[in-house]
Amino acid sequence: MPQSFQVDISETEGVRILAVQGYLDAHTAPSFESSIEAEIRSGKVRLVVDCAGLTYISSAGLGVFMSFLEDAREQGGDIKLAAITPKVFQIFDVLGFPKLFDIASTVEEAAARFAQARES
Amino acid sequence: MDTRLDASRLESLLESARLLGSSLELDQQINHLLRTVMGRLLATRSLVALNQPDGSKVAAVRGLKALHPGDPATPAEASALGLGLCFDIAGPDGPVGFLAVNDPLHRSLDSGEIEFMRALTGLAAASISNARAHQQAVRSNQELHAMLELSSSLAAAIEPDEVARLLMLTLAGRWGLLKHGLVTWKPGVPPVRRIRGLDPPSIETLQNLLARPAPARLGALVVLPVRFGDAVDGAVLLGSPASGLELNDADLHFAAGLIALASVALDSAWRIQDTLYRQRVERELTLAASIQQDLFPKRLPALPFTDLAARNRPAREVGGDYYDVLGIGAGDGPHLLAVVDISGKGIGAALLMANIQATLRALLSVESSLEAVTRRTSDLLYASTPSSKYATAILVKYDPATGACTYINAGHNEGLIRRASGLVERLGTTSLPLALFPDRSYEQARFQLLPGDVLLLYSDGVTDACGPGGEEFGVDRLIARLCQHPGEDLDGLVGGIFDAIDAFAASAPQHDDITVLALRRTSLPGVR
Repeated sequence: MPQSFQVDISETEGVRILAVQGYLDAHTAPSFESSIEAEIRSGKVRLVVDCAGLTYISSAGLGVFMSFLEDAREQGGDIKLAAITPKVFQIFDVLGFPKLFDIASTVEEAAARFAQARES
Repeated sequence: MDTRLDASRLESLLESARLLGSSLELDQQINHLLRTVMGRLLATRSLVALNQPDGSKVAAVRGLKALHPGDPATPAEASALGLGLCFDIAGPDGPVGFLAVNDPLHRSLDSGEIEFMRALTGLAAASISNARAHQQAVRSNQELHAMLELSSSLAAAIEPDEVARLLMLTLAGRWGLLKHGLVTWKPGVPPVRRIRGLDPPSIETLQNLLARPAPARLGALVVLPVRFGDAVDGAVLLGSPASGLELNDADLHFAAGLIALASVALDSAWRIQDTLYRQRVERELTLAASIQQDLFPKRLPALPFTDLAARNRPAREVGGDYYDVLGIGAGDGPHLLAVVDISGKGIGAALLMANIQATLRALLSVESSLEAVTRRTSDLLYASTPSSKYATAILVKYDPATGACTYINAGHNEGLIRRASGLVERLGTTSLPLALFPDRSYEQARFQLLPGDVLLLYSDGVTDACGPGGEEFGVDRLIARLCQHPGEDLDGLVGGIFDAIDAFAASAPQHDDITVLALRRTSLPGVR
């Protein structure tokens, strides 16, 4: 039975929050990709991915993050990751994601960093 | 750390094997490959290029604005754009393409990573080959389906415009073409034109374009020949597909196939239209002939002291000769005998004939003077017909009570009188043909018919009838036949004249209408 995956999108202080739920693997990656692409194409380049509900992520899922990072940063934004559970964080860590991505413990913290970046 | 990394790699390979192995969609596979590799190597830019017959072309690209799907790409070019890590995608059947990514963290790949990439690209190569073969099979299937569908639609099309519509709808539908057109210039058939969204070039331009080696282009348009037999007598113009990709060789090959189907159907449609047209013309001529036959007198009037016989045989379905015996006023009083020959043949002459008949009948009800009837008929016809149309006529006003006759020969053959003594007299022309000039007065002359005399009026189809050697039947042969059997009845005489003409003409075709009208003055009241 295919694992489920879902994205809920909200906004706070000019930052888009993508709350992901479930399994992000090769099968569900295309739909997550569409969500992020829609945000980037409409100029919303300040993204925080709320990973609290993320139960698993594969390389393909990780590849979705990689595919839009450049775009977001070139347009003055970023894709920040927040509230990653320890189990999932291990997967990020093994591949060296922390070296490339800004990871925060909470969504609020991640959103705040956008504001700080504006001020500095 | 190593164990976890190994486990992660294994998991990734398994996931990839599962997805790549279960999907036949090329796009799905390539995008999965990119995601996986970018995820594992932390690359922010990547591309996959696949080998095509005309070189390596980008199949998918991420994080890079300088290249698009369909652009040519080599590993060296990818490297120049910052994608410094390059991996062959190769399987047991050979190389399929390559994958290139950037390396933002500037790491060198360890052996585990290299092994992983080799395994992953090997998986990808096999499934990409399968997907492409499947794509080709689906495409061939679609093309075959389109051809069969077009073929069966064309079989039912009998109008050239319908064929053009079916062909162009199929071509436009296949590639989403907003601009397309079909033009034919085959000699001997009506041209076909179906143009949408573009200004068609002249036929000369198209002919010049198609004379050069293929493929012919006119700006953004592709121009393909339409062949009928060996000759290129048409062109199909194709604009740019909605997908934005240009039409490739396979596309043009397919289009040529559809065009070939359509050209056969066009030839058939033209032939059918031609046959239908000729059948229509024949039907109309047959109808006109039956209408015209009804205009001839169904029965010649039974007049005192008079025998009458007549026959008309048109050269074609519809002729230009007319004869009639019309009463002037009521009862057995004077009658008008008329033999009229209209210039020209066919429907035009027949229409004029009907006109003359109607005019004569109308005038005879109010006018008894032969000269006045003739003059007014001529004037009416002159006014209502083209100047090239005229008619010759011999008109005899005959009084059954006395046998006295007045006649006008308007440019017609000489009328003949065979006297009871055997002498033959000729009634020569007295005036110009009818409807040639307005306001002419018509000269008339008189003669008297005595018992036993035969009056013969006829059209020039009799005297002009040609024999196999080219010589004409002539008035002498007519006179000879007229005098041959003095005792015969008039029907026998008229029939005999036709037989003599036919015997003389032998196998030569008849070009002119033949009309014979005969009258005999008897000493007893005529019996019919």
